Amino acid sequence: MPPASEPPAAPVPPVVTGPEPATGAVGGGPPDETFKLHRLTPLALGGRVLGLVVAFTLFGLLEQASSGGGGPSWPTYAVYGVVAVVLVIRGVITVACTSYHLSGGELRIDSGLLQKQSKRIRLDRVQSIDVLEPFAARVFGLGEVKVTTAGSERAAVRLRYLSLPVAQALRADMLGRSTGVGIGLAEAPERILIAVPHGRLVGSVLLQMVSWRLVFLLFGPVLATAGQRRGHGVTAGIGVVVFVWFAILIAHAVWQRISGLWGFTVSDSPDGLRVTHGLLSTSRQTVPPGRVQAILIHQPFFWRPFGWVQVRMNVAGYGGVDSGKRSMLVPVSDRAFAEALVGWLLGGVDLGRIPLTRPPRRASVRAPLWWRAQLAGADERFFVAHHGLLSRTTDVVPHQRTQSLRLRSGPVQRMLGLASVHLDSTRGPVRTRAANRDAGDARTMLDIEVERWRSARRLDAGTPAPAPSAAPVAGG
Amino acid sequence: MDDPFAPPTGQAWIRVSPKLARMRRWMLVILAGVPMAAVVAILATASAVAGLVSGAVAVAVLVWGWFSIGRNFRSWGYVERADDLLVTHGAFYRSLTVVPYGRMQLVDVSAGPIERTFGLVNVKLHTAAATTDAKVCGLTPHDAGALRDRLTALGEAHAAGL
Repeated sequence: MPPASEPPAAPVPPVVTGPEPATGAVGGGPPDETFKLHRLTPLALGGRVLGLVVAFTLFGLLEQASSGGGGPSWPTYAVYGVVAVVLVIRGVITVACTSYHLSGGELRIDSGLLQKQSKRIRLDRVQSIDVLEPFAARVFGLGEVKVTTAGSERAAVRLRYLSLPVAQALRADMLGRSTGVGIGLAEAPERILIAVPHGRLVGSVLLQMVSWRLVFLLFGPVLATAGQRRGHGVTAGIGVVVFVWFAILIAHAVWQRISGLWGFTVSDSPDGLRVTHGLLSTSRQTVPPGRVQAILIHQPFFWRPFGWVQVRMNVAGYGGVDSGKRSMLVPVSDRAFAEALVGWLLGGVDLGRIPLTRPPRRASVRAPLWWRAQLAGADERFFVAHHGLLSRTTDVVPHQRTQSLRLRSGPVQRMLGLASVHLDSTRGPVRTRAANRDAGDARTMLDIEVERWRSARRLDAGTPAPAPSAAPVAGG
Repeated sequence: MDDPFAPPTGQAWIRVSPKLARMRRWMLVILAGVPMAAVVAILATASAVAGLVSGAVAVAVLVWGWFSIGRNFRSWGYVERADDLLVTHGAFYRSLTVVPYGRMQLVDVSAGPIERTFGLVNVKLHTAAATTDAKVCGLTPHDAGALRDRLTALGEAHAAGL
């Protein structure tokens, strides 16, 4: 059942990927395994540039044919050719010199032609294993396995490229080893929690991204009409260009987002939380149990009439360039499902039952209107903070996941006798803070938080990963 | 109202070396004082009034800098508790950070060339969060080494992973 043969637009994977008989080289092999990258890797690695080179060459030839010999001359093609050859050779060297080994609970990657490099990863420390199919690789039926450990984005190991079935089997095997379930396991069965309907995704992205950006679209027409009225042709021309430019920028941003989040599916499986999405380039993330550090529920202003919300998470090692995409947990759903999901994922948090407090009235000097929205509170296990008056955000952090606590007070806050409590989490979208509290209350909050951290830690010590009971499933 | 940035009850902030203030005051004189003196001298040759006014401004800046450095120096402090380390600093933007020992990923001991001349060392605690702001500036090498060893030992004892 290689999903490589699926048509690109097929948004939702089969409901249950049963424990299939392990095929190919990986599945049922011996405990110690050694692999090489796929032969077609050079083509996929240089994919985008090679595509451009081919396109430019064809374009040049067409132009030459139509204008009768006025197109680019042979040195241009020579440059293109050299670029292509260098890319392919680099890729071939990479493939020849890279090998990876799975033994016990460890993944080792040897690479480098002149300067040999050997990386070892303890699989029980793995924060997330993703199978990515960038468009250029997907064309060749290849996939990338990205193993994220705690630490910086650079700490992630990218095995690119492998044939897709091998990539998937390897992912399953590594997850089995990482959670200590077993060695050489096949894909674990999964249960879909939510599959975001396409219409709702498109609508929500348009509402979230286009709405306030429409202001930019006004610049061009305003400039153009002003120029025309005064008989100033150049200004009018600039107006048109500005309009077209902003229109293209917005369309591009919207397209990027929609194609990135297309067919967004969240499923539950014994080896972790699965997040699948993407139209042309697809991504299948698996976050083993207990790796989610903090969660936020966000509601952009224009979603409020529909009651939609978005859920994002902090996972150690997800910070970095594409953290926006990887940290998405649910791009759009109704609030009830989002809260149920958060509650299930964090092991039984009921957001409605955590007592919240508001900053004192004098905080309005520092946060004019939105001080009212800065609610925060905690129970024995979770810290919850709200912020945002128009677009609303709710942050949830389990006490034992807090990395450090900070009490901060700037000059204005000090004058007003206010201070903020920050709960530091790993890099990601969730930045929890109780802003603008009465300074004394803030210190009390900090001290209580330290105390709660200590007891939560003690409770947590026995159970390495929370085992949530019943996952919520989106209705419909 | 009690100071919200006070040390935990029954304990006092361990202050950093006075050499920190000395180093920063030297830096102030060299990096701000000398160039300002040069500008004042040039202006004074052009017109006496300009010289006087710029001189007054320069002195005001230096005096303000001198006292802010003192204020900032007095704000640094840390306390080691059974389970966590507390660090405070900042006179203008005040900050108090609590880092549980179990959360420490690494302890970073560093000293730049100027700090070395004054015999100062910085100790910084890193957790898995990039926003953790737990740095103790201006320790003597002896204190820094001892603190690092104690923190490392405590970190191992409390190790909690992520």
